[in-house]
Amino acid sequence: MAAPRNLALWNYCGRRWSRAMRGCQQLGLRSSWPGASLSARLLSQEKRATETHFGFETVSEEEKGGKVYQVFESVAKKYDVMNDMMSLGIHRLWKDLLLWKMRPLPGTQLLDVAGGTGLAWVLGDAEELPFDDDKFDIYTIAFGIRNVTHIDQALQEAHRVLKPGGRFLCLEFSQVNNPLISRLYDLYSFQVIPVLGEVIAGDWKSYQYLVESIRRFPSQEEFKEMIEDAGFHKVTYESLTSGIVAIHSAFKL
Amino acid sequence: MATVLLRAVLRPFRWLPSHPRPAAEMPLRARSDGVGLLYPHHIPTSPLQKALLAAGSAAMALYNPYRHDMVAVLGETTGHRTLKVLRDQMRRDPEGAQILQERPRISTSTLDLGKLQSLPEGSLGREYLRFLDVNRVSPDTRAPTRFVDDEELAYVIQRYREVHDMLHTLLGMPTNILGEIVVKWFEAVQTGLPMCILGALFGPIQLSAQSLQVLISELIPWAIQNGRRAPCLLNLYYERRWEQPLRALREELGLTAPPIHVQGLA
Repeated sequence: MAAPRNLALWNYCGRRWSRAMRGCQQLGLRSSWPGASLSARLLSQEKRATETHFGFETVSEEEKGGKVYQVFESVAKKYDVMNDMMSLGIHRLWKDLLLWKMRPLPGTQLLDVAGGTGLAWVLGDAEELPFDDDKFDIYTIAFGIRNVTHIDQALQEAHRVLKPGGRFLCLEFSQVNNPLISRLYDLYSFQVIPVLGEVIAGDWKSYQYLVESIRRFPSQEEFKEMIEDAGFHKVTYESLTSGIVAIHSAFKL
Repeated sequence: MATVLLRAVLRPFRWLPSHPRPAAEMPLRARSDGVGLLYPHHIPTSPLQKALLAAGSAAMALYNPYRHDMVAVLGETTGHRTLKVLRDQMRRDPEGAQILQERPRISTSTLDLGKLQSLPEGSLGREYLRFLDVNRVSPDTRAPTRFVDDEELAYVIQRYREVHDMLHTLLGMPTNILGEIVVKWFEAVQTGLPMCILGALFGPIQLSAQSLQVLISELIPWAIQNGRRAPCLLNLYYERRWEQPLRALREELGLTAPPIHVQGLA
């Protein structure tokens, strides 16, 4: 279904996630897992290659996709109202800023992954996009990449489907850069958000997963490196709201 | 410097969990394999979370009376002290002590519905089944306990919930709003649970003037009287009394018939 204007907008719902997660190592370096020393942990990482994280839980990779799917099935109904409640409407400002950076023009071929709903949408897998190479001018993903089992694969796919000269833009939760704000943010995240989830949506666990998965996601710099590993150039990022979220931008040359 | 200031600011809030370690260690969450949880479905919560949950669930239950889950959450987050008292008095009662020991559950998987059906008319079991049918309810709609941080007390509140339908049967109250409020008054007097007291006081807000009039002049005094006269109904091992004639049981407990017939969903 083509949009009436020339701006073709393929909104695309990422659903199924599949196998091995290499990026796990970088995450392991950041979070302090009790007990094991760094080298021992990297070694055990190799042995248990089929395990990954689901928030602060450890799950098998096969499980993760299904569990994330269940979370989003559960939160879908109250998704918008919860976003407004949790961020006090600020998520709209973040998304506006993303659009502003993007400056889409009539004729721009834009792919928005994990978009939920939109003008024209296609069901598929972020790790295996159902599109040909070199197809889009802009690839965006807002608050979606955090939930993908193999982020590196999603990044590689993003690189593949972009035209040379195309731009990658990601809006995602990131690491807070100010210790005072970080403390308050943690307090709010862990004390208030699951309660909001329970009271408004009748769902504590999905929102517990949400705040935990945010902590699991790499920092601005680490994510920048992952994007570079996928073959992108001119990778930059801008932190918003003291680093609660960040917009990463990159180009395929 | 900033953290020193922050600690000074947060010092009065001593009910917050202490977090000397970095953000990744923040959560009050047990491991994924379930070890550390006191019982299945247990969600450990800090005092601050319990306070927020209590306030939030109370507000939501008032705003949307169909959120029965919020009433349950309110009960769990405000009932700890009262549950202890209830548990202790159950221990002192021989039948109550057996219940605590054996932990019977009321659900479609533990009830032999065929057997209940075959019991004589007027027996507790038969009348209980009739109540379920007429009001189109099932014992399986009770959500599991989550926010009580003691597994015996978690059982006590679960038992209280599962016995609620028994109270309806004993009191002859239907599951419409008026019937529920009457049962809440009875439970408030019997258990002292803050959730029951709040429900009893705020439930009537949505009633028509006529129902309110009947409630205040007839039903509430009757509920209070019976609640005080009867022994604690949590001490009854209902599962062993299915054959007992309902009338005899009511007499044993000192329960009188309601002053007026409250319309049920026949």
